[in-house]
Amino acid sequence: MSGNPGAILEVRDLATQFDTLDGVVRAVDGVSFDLERGETLGIVGESGCGKSVTALSILRLIPPETGRIAAGSIRFEGEELTTLSEEAMKRLRGHRISMIFQEPMTSLNPVLTVGTQIAENVVRHMGVSKKAARERAREMLDLVRIADSKRRLDEYPHQLSGGMRQRVMIAMALSCDPQVLIADEPTTALDVTIQAQILDLMLDLKEKTGTAIVLITHDLGVVAETSRRVVVMYAGRKVEEAPVEALFDNPLHPYTRGLMRAIPRLDVDAEEGGRRPRLQEIPGMVPLLTRPIVGCAFAARCSLATERCRAEPPPVVDAGGGHTVACWEVTP
Amino acid sequence: MTAYIIRRLFAVIPVMAVVALFVFFLLRFAPGDPAAIIAGDDATSEAIAAVRAKLGLDRPVVEQFAVWVWGLAHGDLGVSIFSNLAVTRLIAQRLEPTLALTLSTLFVAVALAIPLGVLAAWKARKLVDRLAMGFAVLGFAMPVFVLAYVLIYFFAVRWQLLPVQGYVPIAEGLWPFAQSLILPSVALGVTYMALIARITRASMLEVLQQDYIRTANAKGLATDRVLLLHALKNAAVPIVTVIGIGIALLISGVVITETVFNIPGLGRLTVDAVLKRDYPIVQGLILVFAAVKVVVNLLIDISYAFLDPRIRY
Amino acid sequence: MVAIADDLPLPPRRFSLASAIRRNPTIAFGGILLFLLIAVAVIGPSFVGDPLKIAPVNRLRPPSERWWFGTDQFGRDLFTRSIYGSRVSLIVGLSVAAFSSVLGLALGLACGYFRAFDAIVMRVMDGLMAIPSILLAIALITLTRPGLGIVIVAIVIPEVPRIVRVVRAVVLSIRAQPYIESAIAGGTRNAKLLWRHVLPNTLAPLIVQATYVCASAMLIEAGLSFLGAGVPPEVPSWGNIIAQGRTFFQIAPWSILIPGGFLALTVLAVNLLGDGLRDRLDPRLARRL
Repeated sequence: MSGNPGAILEVRDLATQFDTLDGVVRAVDGVSFDLERGETLGIVGESGCGKSVTALSILRLIPPETGRIAAGSIRFEGEELTTLSEEAMKRLRGHRISMIFQEPMTSLNPVLTVGTQIAENVVRHMGVSKKAARERAREMLDLVRIADSKRRLDEYPHQLSGGMRQRVMIAMALSCDPQVLIADEPTTALDVTIQAQILDLMLDLKEKTGTAIVLITHDLGVVAETSRRVVVMYAGRKVEEAPVEALFDNPLHPYTRGLMRAIPRLDVDAEEGGRRPRLQEIPGMVPLLTRPIVGCAFAARCSLATERCRAEPPPVVDAGGGHTVACWEVTP
Repeated sequence: MTAYIIRRLFAVIPVMAVVALFVFFLLRFAPGDPAAIIAGDDATSEAIAAVRAKLGLDRPVVEQFAVWVWGLAHGDLGVSIFSNLAVTRLIAQRLEPTLALTLSTLFVAVALAIPLGVLAAWKARKLVDRLAMGFAVLGFAMPVFVLAYVLIYFFAVRWQLLPVQGYVPIAEGLWPFAQSLILPSVALGVTYMALIARITRASMLEVLQQDYIRTANAKGLATDRVLLLHALKNAAVPIVTVIGIGIALLISGVVITETVFNIPGLGRLTVDAVLKRDYPIVQGLILVFAAVKVVVNLLIDISYAFLDPRIRY
Repeated sequence: MVAIADDLPLPPRRFSLASAIRRNPTIAFGGILLFLLIAVAVIGPSFVGDPLKIAPVNRLRPPSERWWFGTDQFGRDLFTRSIYGSRVSLIVGLSVAAFSSVLGLALGLACGYFRAFDAIVMRVMDGLMAIPSILLAIALITLTRPGLGIVIVAIVIPEVPRIVRVVRAVVLSIRAQPYIESAIAGGTRNAKLLWRHVLPNTLAPLIVQATYVCASAMLIEAGLSFLGAGVPPEVPSWGNIIAQGRTFFQIAPWSILIPGGFLALTVLAVNLLGDGLRDRLDPRLARRL
């Protein structure tokens, strides 16, 4: 494990499992990636592919009653997080690594004011007075472009719109100048116009603060607009990783290609003389994660799958330029 | 807010009216001759007639009702059949021990049960949780008087740490007063505690699964802040509701506890009145206890507004 | 985590007693305990002597081989009396549960259907619920001659509102379901609607609530007897045995602790059964309490 000197976060062979009534679910099964300082890394995949669990694993927020990080390593600035004490983890969370969640409607505490919820983070990690923390909270609301910030501090989440709540979440997450921000589907629950505003805001703040972002989404469009590099996950595994242009120009994994075909495209629409091309769905179902998958996880749904795909895990093929893919049928 | 409180105050009126009608008509429409039953098996017909006259049962129902409501409106709960004393005066004489007993029980039970429930929810399915919930299930099945005698047997009879029975007024010294209340409060409070601890645990368990708790944890907040501020404040409404529902339990328990420990409070007054079939006293006490319960519930309804900013009236 | 939870099928909300028992040890434990106590109440009295037989020579004997539970101040055998006492408790518990369920179900269904009726009945229920149940029962008993029947009636009245509220809540929530609204719009008759859709859904919460009513009725009955306002003193109910043991408690604590233990055990069995059934049949309610 030599490590990548430019990386602030290195995830290696991460495996996270949950106990359910139907057995052990391998929600994340051997995922590796690096996050470099100040970059935006997209993680895409369908719901249930393990991308949210990956995010929660990094912050060690997997509920201990049902789940655990079973194997692998997570290094933040060279420090191993999987074995760090809970107390040390708590000092890290919200301070050096913060997270924002998909549901702005339910992720803010309904009975505490917005000001309290931002300020408590600052008090906890910066050791400043309540008064100073409140001032910082007001600054952060200004930064995320919430008008009339002074009044908003004393409002409760239900008095804010969905977009505003997500701005509050961002303000909260960035209030202690974290090095890494993990954003789990930050715009999925929002209207399309609000989505764009929130993404713009995040990118803008990233430029100002230099925070590296892990952006988790099922929306390739969001990735295309925001990320420098992309990790594609399927059934708890990484199937492809590439710089964003390379991925869109030349998707290698059959699953990634399937995802691309599932994006509605306005330009194609025009070219085909008004006949709207049908969105192609990927046939078949995501495999059950309660049983170990022997070969390639995508084999059951893949039109190119052979006997070998079903029997042996695919090799990681390097296509050059930081583009890697886990597939038997791809030759670089 | 003020408008809401006023509206809630008005909602109290029909409830109390039903209670008042109930106790009024219970006496008038009871099967058989209530006057004969109240006077006792050996009573002469003159004695029965005297009781009937005293209760006003010999006059038309409408007139009885008017007289009774008129009295109620002036704070007159009637006169005891046997002692001829005003029911309000009898109640005032017996108020202190009952207030002391219920308030001490209420505070101690709530102060112990909520932390217990929070702890059980936090350590769900671990040993602490199982012990706490085992206690709650047992406490909930334990009749007040049985527990009372178990406590007396050990703490008063065998180890002689506390008095067996009796009540010492607060005017005669704080320590004797407190000593006389320990066993009754525990006996009375265990069921109540069990109820509150269970609802606290259940409500906390539900809240702890919410997204905003994950957010609080993602901020690296200290466990006590997550549990006691972020979670407990959200879990508070059902807990406070049960504290209110439990007041009825406490009142029923007071009647029994005061009998066991020979405490001269409202509970004893009730039992003595029942045994002598002194209906005016029973009727007055029911009205008073129901009023207490209704007022407590009113306070609890109002407290919702302070606990949950989303509730708007 | 969230994504995974979404994929899991929701537990079925259908009523199934067999699987309920198999899956839930609390039900089995409470059920077996209750079954044993019922067995004792039904057949026990034929194996023991006369619960009323007085033998002053043997008064206040501690538990021994001859008197398993000791004797009381009249030399009556407390084992015999305790066995008989289980009858009273179970009769009161079961009949109160049965009567208040039937009455509560009828009123609750009616309330859920007829608005005017609902307004009146719910006001009355609110008033009844404001009176602590022991006091309500006491008031009734003050005005009548003592007896088992009047005790049952006196406990049924304060328990009915609890059932009515549960049933009414279910009816109202079901009526708001789109499929019921469309059935009403499609002209389905009230009676058919009631029979096909509403009644089956009230069953689970009703059973759970009736179990708790049963436990509470046994506690109230014992409390009333203890206060001297319950079944007549010559009936050997647990509450009466305890009440009669009060005077000599310091010399003969067994006369209270043993019947008290039986009462607590019975209530525990019924409560456990209720908790288990609630967890199985009514997960939504289970999360509330």
